[in-house]
Amino acid sequence: MPAFLVVFAQSHSEFRIPELESVAKLHGFAISFPSDCDPSRPFMIITLELEEHAHLLARRCILIKQIYELYGQGNTYDELHMANKANSHLWSPYVQDTSFKFSINAYNHRIHESRQRSIMESFTYMKFAGKIDMKNPQIILGCFEEYDTALGLREDRDGNFHQVYFGRLVADGSARALIQMFDVKKRLYYGNTSMDSEVSLLMANQALASPSKLIYDPFCGTGSMAYPIAYFGAQVFGSDIDGRQMRGKDGQGQPPGVFRAAQQYGVVDRIMDLCTFDVTRNPWRCGNLFDAIVTDPPYGVRAGAKRLGRRKELSEEKKAANIEHQLAARTTQQPYIPPTKPYELSLLAADLVLLSRYLLKPQGRLVFFLPTVNEHYEEVDVQSMLCDGMELVANSLQDFGSWGRRLVTIQKTTSEAYLPPSFDGEMRETTGHVPAHKDFREQYFRGFKKDSDVQ
Amino acid sequence: MVRLITHNLLACHVKGCTSNNFPLEFKDVQVVVRQSEFNPDFLRGFIAKIEWTALVGAARELGDTSLPEMQPETLDDDFLHTLHHVLLEIHVEEGVMICPNCKHNYPISSGIPNMLLAEHEIG
Repeated sequence: MPAFLVVFAQSHSEFRIPELESVAKLHGFAISFPSDCDPSRPFMIITLELEEHAHLLARRCILIKQIYELYGQGNTYDELHMANKANSHLWSPYVQDTSFKFSINAYNHRIHESRQRSIMESFTYMKFAGKIDMKNPQIILGCFEEYDTALGLREDRDGNFHQVYFGRLVADGSARALIQMFDVKKRLYYGNTSMDSEVSLLMANQALASPSKLIYDPFCGTGSMAYPIAYFGAQVFGSDIDGRQMRGKDGQGQPPGVFRAAQQYGVVDRIMDLCTFDVTRNPWRCGNLFDAIVTDPPYGVRAGAKRLGRRKELSEEKKAANIEHQLAARTTQQPYIPPTKPYELSLLAADLVLLSRYLLKPQGRLVFFLPTVNEHYEEVDVQSMLCDGMELVANSLQDFGSWGRRLVTIQKTTSEAYLPPSFDGEMRETTGHVPAHKDFREQYFRGFKKDSDVQ
Repeated sequence: MVRLITHNLLACHVKGCTSNNFPLEFKDVQVVVRQSEFNPDFLRGFIAKIEWTALVGAARELGDTSLPEMQPETLDDDFLHTLHHVLLEIHVEEGVMICPNCKHNYPISSGIPNMLLAEHEIG
């Protein structure tokens, strides 16, 4: 199978392989990685059956800058040229009369112009007879030197690269333009908890968003997840315990905020509906409904998760008075706002997995962010959230230093019907394992110190 | 903009209200019809989830009688267009949805239904 060189944008390295795999799955083609693949490096060799597949990846993967057909790589230029000569069948069709240009680049380094020229000249054995066209070449040949670090003097570093790659440009990553298009600052409606556009696009890709799918966000908020998902063609349903988040403040005469932003992106038609309810007290008539559930649950730094209920139960006397008051409010059509209590993050996460098993179609995916304390995180934190019929697909860290958030992708692997969850985790027996995301909000405001460190 | 596709999926969920709690009845509604893109694959995928009688009833409540009493066995293009219109183009902007069993009122405001339960209605 042909090998391709992927040049990545320099961010979200743990999301690179999951995104490639998701987009390949969405389009139904195979992708494979070398056994020693290191996703933290900005260059990656992948194998694909057809060049067309590379175009599909470049059109949809947010993290791809470019894809090249790989002609050779090496620890040295000698190795590179040897590999390139062995692959002459790949480039011989372009020898006769194809216009071309060279692009010589380095990662963590800048190659002096004189050496750029000598690198180009070292490829003269390819005997390209077409004209060199710097503006509109038919093909671009790229050569990349990859350096481990940009530290130290440029002169000392020059030539001491980790690896050098050479190939023909197949496609520029056109999906990266969507990051600008969905920029939160240019959005007509957003809030202080809106998800940045690059990450929300990555989530849409993990969810395999595409036309004719139905996707649900149970913590819809200001709708950050809905826009890219709808843009990729799926119908989106959003719910939130707090209707004000979805409506916004502009109030009278204006459509709700989420609809206004969706209108801006031309996708308002694909917001199936928005609905105010507490997901732990939900009105879904049946399960097995959605192709994906994609959400960024509130975890308490700016806004904590809430569910219906009270922190402390009322006395019987107060309860009776309360019910009377509520019924009176109901008849006069006054908007009644029920009391809420905090929804602890590790309970919320476990409930979300159970709810998704009920609401997802078989093979459907749950994609959500889980904040965690990096120092205390263990793999079992995520493993212990899983239940029968729900399997982990990907778990990628976005690192903020002492804490981070993990984008977790879970797939429903069962076609059995399950009952809706009981949401009574407070009463549930625990296994004794305390995940690093438990009481995240409290840990955050303590500065992630252990109890024993706090006086 | 409660569409009939959404109405077909929502049941009353008040504590103890577990039978005759679907479909919710519309009252005092303001309806708007908005054109939307026709996606036959979406409809074919969704049709198995529809409670047909409830959908036909809700459409008639809102003055649309285009759907047949019985769900047809073959999904031809004409039928899919009709189904598309009923499921996705009729929006209830304002009004109330009422549980036929416990009579709980779920108000709809600017197209967003409030399905929150009061304190005494949760388990």
